[in-house]
Amino acid sequence: MNLPTLSLADFFPLLPAILMVVGACILLLSEVFLSATASRAYQAVLTVVTAVAAGAVAVVMMFEPPREVMLGFGVLDPFSSFLTFVVCVGLGLAALSSVGFLRRRGAERGEFYALMLFASAGMSLLAMSNELITLFVNIEVLSIATYALTAYLRRGTRPSEAGFKYFILGAFSSAVLLYGAALVYGATGTTNLTAMVGPLGAAIQAQPALVYAGVVLVGAGFAFKVAAVPFHMWTPDVYEGAPSPVTALMSAGVKAAAFAAMVRVFFTMGQGIDPRLPLALFSTLAFLTMVVGNLMAIPQRNVKRMLAYSSIAHAGYLLLGVAALFVTAPGEQFRLLGPSELTGGSPLDIARAGALRGILYYLLAYTFSAVGAFAMVSALERREDEEKGTAWDLERFSGLAQRRPGWAFAMAAFMLSLGGIPPTIGFMSKLLIFQSAVDAGLIGLTIVAVLSSAAGVYYYLRVVVYMFMRPVPEGAQVLERNWGTEVALVVSTAAVVVLGIIPGPIGAWLEQAGTLFGR
Amino acid sequence: MAADVAAREAPNRPMVPITYYLLLAAALFCMGMFGVLVRRNALVVFMSVELMLNAANLTFLAFARMRGDAIGHVSAFFVIAVAAAEAAIGLAIVIAVFRSRGSVLVEDIRTMKH
Repeated sequence: MNLPTLSLADFFPLLPAILMVVGACILLLSEVFLSATASRAYQAVLTVVTAVAAGAVAVVMMFEPPREVMLGFGVLDPFSSFLTFVVCVGLGLAALSSVGFLRRRGAERGEFYALMLFASAGMSLLAMSNELITLFVNIEVLSIATYALTAYLRRGTRPSEAGFKYFILGAFSSAVLLYGAALVYGATGTTNLTAMVGPLGAAIQAQPALVYAGVVLVGAGFAFKVAAVPFHMWTPDVYEGAPSPVTALMSAGVKAAAFAAMVRVFFTMGQGIDPRLPLALFSTLAFLTMVVGNLMAIPQRNVKRMLAYSSIAHAGYLLLGVAALFVTAPGEQFRLLGPSELTGGSPLDIARAGALRGILYYLLAYTFSAVGAFAMVSALERREDEEKGTAWDLERFSGLAQRRPGWAFAMAAFMLSLGGIPPTIGFMSKLLIFQSAVDAGLIGLTIVAVLSSAAGVYYYLRVVVYMFMRPVPEGAQVLERNWGTEVALVVSTAAVVVLGIIPGPIGAWLEQAGTLFGR
Repeated sequence: MAADVAAREAPNRPMVPITYYLLLAAALFCMGMFGVLVRRNALVVFMSVELMLNAANLTFLAFARMRGDAIGHVSAFFVIAVAAAEAAIGLAIVIAVFRSRGSVLVEDIRTMKH
């Protein structure tokens, strides 16, 4: 039997994930030597340092030429590197906001940050996966760590309930995805995405039922992971019950990685089978997700639950971008051009490339805004109110502008960004996605998107109204400051505002990042 | 290579057609899905998920046998390992649920409904 030989250079593309795993192992091992009362402030610092290092490596890798790595089981392309960068941003900000959160609950332990790092390593590898089994294993690496994080707090009934719901539906969706992958493997004889393009075209003639069943099951599995309607039922309960920093990581990192894997898988399938199938699938999901997500968020007085529904709505806008990726002219071969070849492309080529860039920018924008908003939620909540369910009530935000003007300004920036109001990063990213959807000819769907995001502005601005126009309630709790939360808020507010006014710095990256391997 | 394997192992015996394996796997998958959606006991729901994973495994193996290549067999091993890890965390969560409410019935696990 021939064993493959791997040189050290073959492991370079995995460096961000390796850094995160090493960081996690250090955290786990160092915990053994600490007494129960020892200071654990270094743990968050170590996590943030790891995230920054991994993110810096990802930025460097964005300029590497796209290629297969690890014997074709993964690919290194600017797309995956950009996603790794987004994951590192989410991880760093979520780790910063957990410092104060864990201290108030007396639950500071190394495994919390270690699990966050393991989950992020899985996300980074998921964005690189180019083979269905690798993809499945990485989904599980990130999911299993997130299940444990969701049920991390042992006091109270909510965390275990959220963990249970997340676990059952997560495992269920993984099984659906895996069964779909098995059917696709049966039809094509390979699990490698690059090698699948040719056989898929032949298999669709020979065994159309097998291929369609496989593709639809894989699509349904991913729809669960990104919380698209009608596969969204778990999201509000899980987001509400999980510790707030974990919810932040889930809404940003898990979703970004799942979108990356979904785009990569369906990009391959779109070349083999008729691209109108993914177009129909994603248009339907986008329509339902945008409308239902926004409508369900409107009556919520619980801010954390409102943000959960808002995250469903944002998945809808992203799905609109994914649908725009698969628009083809009649008889046209589906393809996606890189930035250097665009000058000779047709208008649809430009629209599709724009949609891919829009998705990436949106994921970054959503990471900054949502993780910031969840950091604020976790700064305001108190454990005593959790069982009563009032820990996240809108009343908590009353008069915040008088008590902590800086916090109120930051939260207002996040809300405007989530609502898509200029001058914020959320506006720029929505503009990119809607513009490329219109260019691709999805006019009706874009009108729905604009109308539903206008409805969304109502519930985002309600939080701002409470912060700036309501008096401070009697007997309001003392607001503790914590360096972690403050740093997280400053960084994400700066990113939301500055990148909304001058999107230039990441414009060049984004041009680059719209490069998928194997076009 | 597929023919080799078949000839070496069963020169005279009739082979079970691959379709039977696939139908069995599909039936297992549907049973698992049904179990997740309707069963009330958290442990049974959890067992149903395992059933779905094993249905996928059986499909991988049937196709791998039909095509005579290794990737399907290897996939099954990976899935078994992942299922074991999932079982560990799943049972831990079920225990956490039981400790906090003294019941593992799905209808008792719903404090968050609005």
